Amino acid sequence: MTERSSAVRIGPVVFDNPVFLASGPAGYGLEYADLIDLTRLGAVVTKTITLQPRPGNTGRRLWETRGGLLNSVGLENVGAEIFLTEKLPSLIDGDVRLIVSIAAEGWEEFRQLLEMVAARPEIEAVEINLSCPNVERGGMEIGADPGRIEHYVKHAKDVLGERAVLAKLTPNVRDVARLALAAEGAGADGITAINTVVGMEMDAESGRPIFEMVRAGLSGPAILPIALVAVWKISRTVDIPIVGVGGISSIEDATKFFRAGASAIQIGTAIFYDHGLPERIIEAFEHSGIPKPFEKKDG
Amino acid sequence: MSARAKGSFLVSVLRNDPLTPSSSILVLDRPEGFPDAQPGQFISVRLTDTLEPLLRRPYSIMDLTADTLSLLVKVIGRGSALLASQKPGASLDVIGPLGGTSFPYPASGKVVFVAGGTGLAPFIFAARSWRSGDARPEIHLLYGAEAKDELFLELIAGEFTGAHLATIDGSEGYCGDVVRLCEKLLAKGELPVDHLYSCGPRGMVRALVRQVGSRFAEHLTSLEAIMACGVGACRGCTVPVWEGERMVNKAVCSDGTVFAANAVAWEEWKE
Repeated sequence: MTERSSAVRIGPVVFDNPVFLASGPAGYGLEYADLIDLTRLGAVVTKTITLQPRPGNTGRRLWETRGGLLNSVGLENVGAEIFLTEKLPSLIDGDVRLIVSIAAEGWEEFRQLLEMVAARPEIEAVEINLSCPNVERGGMEIGADPGRIEHYVKHAKDVLGERAVLAKLTPNVRDVARLALAAEGAGADGITAINTVVGMEMDAESGRPIFEMVRAGLSGPAILPIALVAVWKISRTVDIPIVGVGGISSIEDATKFFRAGASAIQIGTAIFYDHGLPERIIEAFEHSGIPKPFEKKDG
Repeated sequence: MSARAKGSFLVSVLRNDPLTPSSSILVLDRPEGFPDAQPGQFISVRLTDTLEPLLRRPYSIMDLTADTLSLLVKVIGRGSALLASQKPGASLDVIGPLGGTSFPYPASGKVVFVAGGTGLAPFIFAARSWRSGDARPEIHLLYGAEAKDELFLELIAGEFTGAHLATIDGSEGYCGDVVRLCEKLLAKGELPVDHLYSCGPRGMVRALVRQVGSRFAEHLTSLEAIMACGVGACRGCTVPVWEGERMVNKAVCSDGTVFAANAVAWEEWKE
């Protein structure tokens, strides 16, 4: 089998290029179809799907910070059934390569959700969101525990067989590489790093936190150094591909992630202000090749 | 009230006409291929490529002609200050037209607009675009601001069947808020009661719903919200809306901006 020079393999799946849309900002992808040629992307990682529809969080959901964006959306999504019957067919018919992001509040929900996903052969890759800071249950408390990561990833691999399974990790821990090692040991095909960084904002005048849940997830250029060091550490710990995500706003930013050891990248918050960026990065890499990592394994 | 195709455009600033000490009309060159739009739709403007501020800002379309696209810009923060400082010849990156719903031509031919501050913008667009058709609706504008120098008086001249002004400090028109003015005019039987269209600060619209909403057969409102994507993807700008017994989150950017004001769950909307 011949692979294009910019193609990237994650476990059993080959993507045409290593530039993906991150889970969350781009919704189900379809919302951006007028602005981004979704078929040009390596893949679109969908908004995280849960077993049941989720209304998301109440109160304020967005706050712009210097160089960043705090969000408290809370995994609002249409639920697995509507996603699989309404959103998925449009994406597949539109020739969009997909990685379906999934999350669950507990083990039983995770099992049921995986069964529904596994029943759809057109889904070739899944990213397990082990790390959303904006939900009360099923977010970071699973994703910060190597034992539970291992348990969830192993089950996903057992059920999904020859589909790619990525584990999306939180930076809100002391040692993200330890989490990556647990995922790799359980059979993950790749690691996505990082999810948003926990933060908050106060209203100086009223003295109150501006988000109802107090904490929120920080994304955007401000978190790039945090994402970069996570990718660096993980790449020196595991052998499976790493998908780097966090604050990429330029071709140069994207290049840094490959230098740090990523095999692919995701663009998230940047599409809000520069939706042309993913396609520009793809073109740049097609022209000059994918940047090589810096002395991998010696750091 | 249907969505139109949207796109990404580079537009040139033709003029930046001062309107009041803190506001101006930004007249942009309508780019080739920019779709027709409806009152209540908006564009999202990238203010800088320095990433500070980061996000685009949504602006209601104040006018759209064959050649121009106009915005009403009031300086309230970093983003609006940057937009207000644009000089003729500058180039802006915009996406639009955005918004899945808009203010429809009033079925009865008579409508009351209630606007607060820059909430006037969609109504200027409505008055101008509906005037160009064969039918001409009877439009009664009720328009309020804090003080006279914040009213965009030159914008409203000649656009409406009748214009009633209100200022909190009493420096122009009725002394008090525009909702009280509406109550007063209703009591005197001076307003048609088929369609009420509103746009302005959340407190104003909420008070309208409570105090005069039931007097009108229909009350539609164009909502404002902090937005990130502008296209319904990120779910950052949601508003709780009643669908029968069920409360659902709607995106102001793509399910709105125009909603039935009585269906908005105002008590639950805590942003």
